[in-house]
Amino acid sequence: MFQESTLAFPYKHWTGETIGRFLAGLKEQRTIWGERTATLGVVVPPLGYSEADGSPASGWVAVGPGGVVTAVAVVHEPIAGFHPSERPFAYVLVKLDGADTALVHIVADGLERLRVGSRVEAVWADDEARRGTIRDIAGFRVVG
Amino acid sequence: MSNTPCEPPATPVELIEAKVELPYHYVAGDYRAQYLRALQNKRILGSRCPVTGKVFVPPIVNSPASMARCGELVDVADRGTITTFCVVNIDVIGRNLKLPYVAASVALDGADISIFALVYECEASEVRMGMRVAAVWKPDGERQGSHEDILYFRPTGEPDAPRESYIDRL
Repeated sequence: MFQESTLAFPYKHWTGETIGRFLAGLKEQRTIWGERTATLGVVVPPLGYSEADGSPASGWVAVGPGGVVTAVAVVHEPIAGFHPSERPFAYVLVKLDGADTALVHIVADGLERLRVGSRVEAVWADDEARRGTIRDIAGFRVVG
Repeated sequence: MSNTPCEPPATPVELIEAKVELPYHYVAGDYRAQYLRALQNKRILGSRCPVTGKVFVPPIVNSPASMARCGELVDVADRGTITTFCVVNIDVIGRNLKLPYVAASVALDGADISIFALVYECEASEVRMGMRVAAVWKPDGERQGSHEDILYFRPTGEPDAPRESYIDRL
């Protein structure tokens, strides 16, 4: 005899002005936006300030959609409903072209070719599937 | 593109939903499976420690006090005494209970420890330690062999049990 039971945590996070506009850019413009700061360069995703000294950001900069992988963690056995992909994938840090910090995202295809230093490119979710979340970028794919 | 925007849209996305789900697969084991199956027949099983004579509900394999094997499964009553309780006034996501409700520990007659139970059919303010209650079962044919076969406990109207009869069965 057994029982299936699922603990569900239906969180809603308020985004705030800066991340809210970043997400609107993904959804409506298929553009990844960073912010220029005096001490950390172009920060992606934007925070509205520099984490180094708290100084305010000074303007928006479009970055990507290509970039370079700076870290990789492969998940060989994803847990359905918990991980962002139901098949093997990798969490990656991507330093997008024009950015000075790295964005956390996933790579679901071409894992065998994925290395630190790989060139990757954003793969956009379909228009009707983009709802203003980080998964409006479906993932990154290895290029070149 | 000639019309490349120089800023993201002015109107932010206000919130994101991040649903985390943790799927579990619990295996009941021998005693717990027998206990659950018995509920389908409106029976509540416990196990008796051969050293201390105490009856545990749901049945456990080894007595936590003597470590002796509790080899004997016994029936306990589907009525008992509220030993301690809590009035719940705050809703829990995913639980559909009318507020306020009472979550109580009930020492079933014949058992030496309490089970956790819902108490209905009275005002929350009337519930007290020592109150006598009885199980309200799902109708015949609807019981599945699960904890939900007992819908809740209701007051029986019997006189309250004396404190010494339940104070060691919390």
